[in-house]
Amino acid sequence: MKRLGNYLFPTWIIILVVFLVSGLGAAGIVFSRGLIVTNLSDLVPWGLWITIDLSAVGLGAGAFLLSAAVYLLGIKRLAPVARTAVFIGFIAYTMACMTLLLDIGRPDRFWHAVAFWNIHSPLWEVTMCVTIYLTVLSLEVLPLLGRAPWFSRRLPAVAAHLQHIHHYAPLLAVVGLVLSLLHQSSLGATYAVLKARPIVYRPSLAVLFIASAFVAGPALTVLASKVSALITPRARVKDALLDPISRFVGWALVAYVYLRFWDMLAMSYTYEPGRSEGLRVLTTGVLSFNFWIGEVLLGAIVPMIILLSSRLRRQPHLHLLALICIVGGLVAYRWDTNLVSQLVVFNYLPQDLAPRYTGYVPSLVETLAGAGVVAYGFLMFTLGVRYLNIVDHHESVGHAPQSTTLAAGAAD
Amino acid sequence: MDQQETILADGAPLSDRKATAQYNALPRRDFLKLSLVGLAATVAPAVVWKKSRPAEDEEVESPHSWAMVIDQEKCVGCGHCTMACRARNDVSPDMAWNRIFEDEDGGSFLSIPCMHCEDAPCVHVCPVGATFHRSDGIIMMDYDRCIGCRYCEMACPYSARVFNWEAFTGPNPAVPTWGMPDVPRRPRGVVEKCSFCVERIDRGLQNGLMPGEDQAATPACVVACPTGARLFGDLNDPESQVNKALARYPSFRLRESLGTGPRVYYLPPRDRDKKNEEEACS
Repeated sequence: MKRLGNYLFPTWIIILVVFLVSGLGAAGIVFSRGLIVTNLSDLVPWGLWITIDLSAVGLGAGAFLLSAAVYLLGIKRLAPVARTAVFIGFIAYTMACMTLLLDIGRPDRFWHAVAFWNIHSPLWEVTMCVTIYLTVLSLEVLPLLGRAPWFSRRLPAVAAHLQHIHHYAPLLAVVGLVLSLLHQSSLGATYAVLKARPIVYRPSLAVLFIASAFVAGPALTVLASKVSALITPRARVKDALLDPISRFVGWALVAYVYLRFWDMLAMSYTYEPGRSEGLRVLTTGVLSFNFWIGEVLLGAIVPMIILLSSRLRRQPHLHLLALICIVGGLVAYRWDTNLVSQLVVFNYLPQDLAPRYTGYVPSLVETLAGAGVVAYGFLMFTLGVRYLNIVDHHESVGHAPQSTTLAAGAAD
Repeated sequence: MDQQETILADGAPLSDRKATAQYNALPRRDFLKLSLVGLAATVAPAVVWKKSRPAEDEEVESPHSWAMVIDQEKCVGCGHCTMACRARNDVSPDMAWNRIFEDEDGGSFLSIPCMHCEDAPCVHVCPVGATFHRSDGIIMMDYDRCIGCRYCEMACPYSARVFNWEAFTGPNPAVPTWGMPDVPRRPRGVVEKCSFCVERIDRGLQNGLMPGEDQAATPACVVACPTGARLFGDLNDPESQVNKALARYPSFRLRESLGTGPRVYYLPPRDRDKKNEEEACS
């Protein structure tokens, strides 16, 4: 077992680096040849990369939720979990920025969104919030670097400065909460304002995006902590800290499922061109497996039962399964929401009520570039666990970096 | 500050004197100053740019309100409009600013340019304001500002927008047969669309021509239409061809229920009996 453990880390890193390098190669092709190498079209202009972007932001929601829990609600004992969540949030938002950079036709003009404002556009709001929130996340993550023994030993002065930023954690938590609530909902609103696409043109989408982020963000935080603790002794978790979060996730799922089904059923009351066809695509068409199995059964029902039953939740494997299902469910939800409106192609004549359908499967280059971004996320988290000690519930975290010696002992 | 010191007293690993000194030496005020400088550095260029560009509403109110009428009775689906548009606007053969669909029942055609909506969804959603509304009703594109996010393609109810998925290089097969380009070619990675041939309108007005009446000032598709199915003109002018046609025939606009207020009107194919009646009357 010990020997296997020795090989596990390098093998895992090599796999990730292979994906990362192939992703970089794919990104090189995209930047040099343009978006023609994707399977996106004028009918389906947003695809896999936007899904990764939406999913990453949703899954990064643990950062603001747990920071708010610790610094605003005063649940201080969750501080070590918040640290993990903030680190994951930072990774998730950098992933989102990478996919956006891939996705826009003119990556050299990425800064235009900050320089030229159209305050009516939800996408402008998202861009501004994400930009500022990424800065906030960086400020929240820098103290983690400062407290790492290998860093503070070499650059003690810089480390001290970095750790000092942690004193502003409550302020950052407030700013983070505001920005996150704004842009998590605006991502839903990005679709919800599209009157051209009746299936998404409804106000509930903004609420659903927040609700699903409330579910999946903390779920990923708990999942990542538990999995790291299973694999490496560097990560140490306390179930007494994680268990209440899982229970919260279970109840948040109940709220989310209620909202989602109220929303879905309300759409079926009357026939409306485009909307009813979209509903058909979702429930009986090409997205139906994704919807019924990915979103409903595995993404919501199964994990809800497991996480709300204390007997089932206590079984480690079932607990992990539930969390994995939630993360998968969120990705399925974002994929469906992004695609469903694009797969229904409108006829323009007022008397013609027969919309047509189109399809979308990402191209190889698109998939490799997307996989590269995901591999970057895994790699960052792995390195974080190993070198920044980000999953460690036994280390006390207050405002003081008291136990760096302890962490150093663990690292050695 | 008190809190910091207590913590430091507890904090064993930071006994390094230099580190402690540095640690104490970062006052809150400096941090706030730095944050302010950072914020200013972010916001200042935007403000300066805003100031340096005249806002759209400062533009002189145009006396015109351009609109197009497409007569389905006359349209034969020949595609001359699309070809003339490709030549005049230097559009790639893989793209079209004007698309033609044959009706399911057959017999009638639907030619779709940009609708130049009064309340255009694309203008609302563009995160950088690269597409905007002129006071004469034309929805314009700023190709130098577009970042290619394609949100406008998601928002357009008429799929009027096309993205430059790859660079359009080499000769344009529509040139010179269908005309010479009036505008520069767009780069890869930006969205483009029908502009009602805005450069022909503006240049024509400067030279005392009337768009819709004088060919040189009229959109290329209208000029090229061999059956006269397309009309162009000023909605503010009661004598314009579009107003006359709209007064004479029933008309509709596409997806009118969305409230986008399209500026392209369609005259549906007219009933044969009615047409005979009309001919008899005239």
